[in-house]
Amino acid sequence: MVAIGESVISQLRRGVLEFCVLALVRDEERYGFEIVRALSEASGLVTTEGTLYPLLGRLRKEGVVETTWRESPSGPPRRYYRLTAAGAAKLAAFAAEWVRFRDSVDALLETGVPR
Amino acid sequence: MMATASLHPLADDYLDRLEHAARRLPRGERRELVEEIRAHLYEATHPDMSDAEILSVLDRLGEPEDIVEAERSHELSGIDRRGIHEWSAIFLVLFGGFVFGVGWIAGAILLWSSRAWNTRDKLIGTLVVPGGLAAGLWGALAVAVVGAGRVCTTAVPRGAERCSGGASTLGLIGVIALLAVLVLGPFCTAMYLARRAR
Repeated sequence: MVAIGESVISQLRRGVLEFCVLALVRDEERYGFEIVRALSEASGLVTTEGTLYPLLGRLRKEGVVETTWRESPSGPPRRYYRLTAAGAAKLAAFAAEWVRFRDSVDALLETGVPR
Repeated sequence: MMATASLHPLADDYLDRLEHAARRLPRGERRELVEEIRAHLYEATHPDMSDAEILSVLDRLGEPEDIVEAERSHELSGIDRRGIHEWSAIFLVLFGGFVFGVGWIAGAILLWSSRAWNTRDKLIGTLVVPGGLAAGLWGALAVAVVGAGRVCTTAVPRGAERCSGGASTLGLIGVIALLAVLVLGPFCTAMYLARRAR
């Protein structure tokens, strides 16, 4: 198998990961570990779970997610994340752009000509 | 709540390594990051797990250094944390000394209460130069008076000048260097603090 530059994939991943987090908490609130495990179980999205926590922190500071602490039945309290209005707007803008981007790249990869 | 329940020793070791790697981060960030990872370990492990199972959880988490690096890169690319608090601290540490010294003390308090800097930054901000530019200028003046304390007398008959005291050439270079540190130091520190707070 030909190896493609690891940095290409990791840059792509870095670019889209925050929107995957936003999408995960769009419809329901989830706690940190739940978000991290959901992303890590999706194929190819995450290599190291630990590096997602700094990303969650940044999204909090940006105000695209908000958090609430709740007791856990089995350990320290959990921090639950949910999308804010600003986060929903950012996610919607990305989703529209992503479809155009993906379709263009797919068309080029499949047929060799732009759509 | 079982927050007091213990973690597997391997998970504890991992947290120790993380704390060590995170010592370069500002205190607030460091504490938050370590707490997040600790909570993750509570969710993902239990003390009865085998070493192999724990190691697989830790492997998925990644190296502590990589987690800290991710935190740092988000800090650098992320939000500019230089709010009114930070700019006031920088301004007062530099110029506050001119207001009977109390302005500088207020600046130092703001500096130490901000989360934008780590302990090393705060020490540099406080110690180069204590009292800020005002103290630096007073110090420079004192050094200049002592350094240039040459006493010259003109001998009456032939106008020859005789000088005594004062610094040798080497001493003079030292005095100039000291003057530069005292006056430029506070400015350099202010620029350093402004850059580090980003």
